[in-house]
Amino acid sequence: MDKIKAERIIQAGLDRKADFVEIFEEETRNASVSFRDRKVDSATAGTDYGIGIRLVYGTEVLYCHTSNDDEGHIIKLVDNLARSRGIIVRDTSEPTVNLVGRIFENRHKITKDPREIGQDRKLDLIKLADHVARGHSDKIIQVNARAGDVVSSVLICNSEGLWAEDTRTRSRFTVNVTAEAGGEIFTASEAPGTMRGFEFFESLDISHYAKLAAERAVLMLSAGYVKGGKMPVVMGNGFGGVIFHEACGHLLETEAVRRKATPFAGKVGELIAHPSVTAIDDGTIQNAWGSQNIDDEGNPVQKTVLIKDGKLQTYMSDRVGGQETGTGITGSSRRESYQYAPVSRMRNTYIDRGSTPVGAMIGGIDNGLYAKKMGGGSVNPATGEFNFAVEEAYLIRNGKITEPVRGATLIGKGPDILPLISQVGDDLELAAGMCGASSGSVPVMVGQPTIKVDNILVGGR
Amino acid sequence: MIRKAGEQQAVESLNPSDAIDFMCAEARRQGADGFDAVAGESESMGIELFEGKVKSTEISNSRGIGIRLFKDKRPGFAFTEKMSREAIAQTVKDALSHTLLTDPVEMDLPFPETLPDIDLKSFNPELEEVSLDRMKALCLELESLARAADQRIDNIPYLGASRSSGMSMVRNSNGVAYSSRSNVVSAGVGVVALQDGNKKMGVYSNGGRSFSFDPGLMAAKAVERAVELLGAESVPSGSYPVVFSNRVSASLMSMFGSPFFADAVQKGQSRLAGKVGERIAVPMLNITDNPHIPGMPGSHLFDGEGVATSPQEVVRDGVLKTYLYNLESAHKAGVKPMGNGSRGYSGKAGTGFSNYIVDKGDRDLAALLSAFPRCLYITKLEGGSGCSAVSGEISIGAQGFWYEQGARVKPVDKITLSSNYFEMLMGIRGLSNEYSDSFSSMKVPDMLVESMHVAG
Repeated sequence: MDKIKAERIIQAGLDRKADFVEIFEEETRNASVSFRDRKVDSATAGTDYGIGIRLVYGTEVLYCHTSNDDEGHIIKLVDNLARSRGIIVRDTSEPTVNLVGRIFENRHKITKDPREIGQDRKLDLIKLADHVARGHSDKIIQVNARAGDVVSSVLICNSEGLWAEDTRTRSRFTVNVTAEAGGEIFTASEAPGTMRGFEFFESLDISHYAKLAAERAVLMLSAGYVKGGKMPVVMGNGFGGVIFHEACGHLLETEAVRRKATPFAGKVGELIAHPSVTAIDDGTIQNAWGSQNIDDEGNPVQKTVLIKDGKLQTYMSDRVGGQETGTGITGSSRRESYQYAPVSRMRNTYIDRGSTPVGAMIGGIDNGLYAKKMGGGSVNPATGEFNFAVEEAYLIRNGKITEPVRGATLIGKGPDILPLISQVGDDLELAAGMCGASSGSVPVMVGQPTIKVDNILVGGR
Repeated sequence: MIRKAGEQQAVESLNPSDAIDFMCAEARRQGADGFDAVAGESESMGIELFEGKVKSTEISNSRGIGIRLFKDKRPGFAFTEKMSREAIAQTVKDALSHTLLTDPVEMDLPFPETLPDIDLKSFNPELEEVSLDRMKALCLELESLARAADQRIDNIPYLGASRSSGMSMVRNSNGVAYSSRSNVVSAGVGVVALQDGNKKMGVYSNGGRSFSFDPGLMAAKAVERAVELLGAESVPSGSYPVVFSNRVSASLMSMFGSPFFADAVQKGQSRLAGKVGERIAVPMLNITDNPHIPGMPGSHLFDGEGVATSPQEVVRDGVLKTYLYNLESAHKAGVKPMGNGSRGYSGKAGTGFSNYIVDKGDRDLAALLSAFPRCLYITKLEGGSGCSAVSGEISIGAQGFWYEQGARVKPVDKITLSSNYFEMLMGIRGLSNEYSDSFSSMKVPDMLVESMHVAG
């Protein structure tokens, strides 16, 4: 969209008495190739395109979106939004806003634009994953592998004169392995991702990830069940960070605070976690899966310390949520696409490095669980009740890791669990995931060093 | 797409009907051996309120078009939300270039056939007149009724209503050309009850094809669902009979749909492989896939690949009768495609149930709750990450009530249930004579399972 058109659309919103008007235009190119059943079963590419317009009256948000970029059509939508508040204006005045391009530092350099590299270059990668996984064991009966990339160009402009453009390039490799024995079937997957171009695939150790997934699928076939109940749990690094993401992260988004739907509302400055816990949400990590240069309101992203030595420091905010809760800008406003109004969301969220050696954590437990690899989870922010799944776990007996046990669900309440994270290791790692909430599904990283939770309910038999 | 100031644009955006015609013509012109194209358009408007005020209003309009084409039996896919001739021609070119990468697939595109003459009642023109003001009035009433219903209601964080309508089209190189449209209105309220520092949430939402919500009933149900769980506690770990309320039985069964898909069977990802004709569940279990029930949200006369749909008995008297097929899996199995292909414009073809129906039993809920001396009555499931359709493993958080001799003793939370889906199907001991009132493509009555492992 050109500036003159953008200024006219913004003016249409201002004429209708909006306090703030924003345009979010997006064109996203997705491309992927996938392998299944020893065949290249799909090669696809596509373009998402659309425009989202947000009118803000006080803290009331009106949002519309369309794939049709015709100016008259867009102004009609703006008019319909305003009419829903009883505001009827027929004449449009000359634009009063002068949009000025803002230049941002591009922290996330891309060396190989996927759009300029043929999809044929992905074929060897997905075939390698299949070859390595099947080679691990004759129990492997199926391998799905996918190499995909997304290049998203966005324009954000608003009635405060902002004109900001950004291009987000992300690549992800997924391998899913199925193993079978004695009528039982298990699958396991690995899915590393970054904010990089094709250079990510070139440097990725695909054999490593294919082998990890294959090993886990086969291991679970022979694993027994943990006896369910409350017990101490040592949670592995990397994707183990899903516990903080669900048990606490979502509860610190101003979108939850403004609805009074979080037990942490009004707790800034208070001790909400064990003093060994420092937690950070950082959108600036170079080329990380959940990073950006600017958030989806056009603010530069920040590194936000959420909890310092157990004390709550701040929430993650978006424009309206920040205004309502008195939280400053953190560059956390995100949305899946033009189809969603932005709200405060996590970026790369992790419990910071501690100092307890992992061996010492395990050594101090007589009966417990070592949850090496975590799956997904969810939370009800209003009650703080969360759950997440463990995909690969081992029993801890008399200070030693012993036999593997099958995946299980772990449940609890955020405010109850945070004080129970009593030990934090020194092996910080982050892992890529997708996070779903009211503004859609966005790429995030979760992370932590290995941690010890003194007591949590483990689903089992 | 981001142009500098002064740059002109005059690109005509086609409507979905013209766009799909143009895409088919382009596919022929560019030399595809065969193809199918799907286009969709949707419009919606909705409103959310908080503490008596409108918090957000959304009006949306989206559309897109996608193609699958074949060259020497090799498939290629592409899609676009830019509906200009230039973008569509490029999309066809992209799909064609993808046929150089894929391996050949054996499958036949369908020919046109006469669709069943059934009025599915998928579209009610009156809904198009439902205004944001009407939705707002409903929400305000819901909120005040919910607040007044019980002093322990502490917060109403979720409150909203919306309506949406959609149109979908499918065309192929054999002359198939079908289109359909549907619309729906929905409304819901989520309340939080507080007692002794403990919070419980209750949600009631529903949808349908008439704007005839009963705010009194909706508010009362949401409040009841929150308040009745206050004071909940865990139960000791052990194995207990479990009754899944019809509020959650469908969502439990929905996590285990894919084992019935021929595609999963053929790819080694279903434990139902080789089980057609065999008993996989207790004799009381009947599962039907029925796309022809008027008014249900999963009803449609043709599927995402342009195949006419037909009802299927999937499980009859506990015996697996058939898998569900799309074009590719049907060809591989040597059976006639039955119309269970699912496909949106941006994805490749999958398989899906239309309306998933578990037949009702002949007992009422009270009879199920008193079938064993003690049992758990589960009304809320938490997450599903610990459940796998491939392995059948079930590990899930749950809330509900403890029953003894058919009488409610106390509310229960902080427990997890553990079992395996394929074992659970053999352990069903009762199905009630009642479905929930939700507007859903799944109908599953209350379900009694003899034993599940409970950790508390």
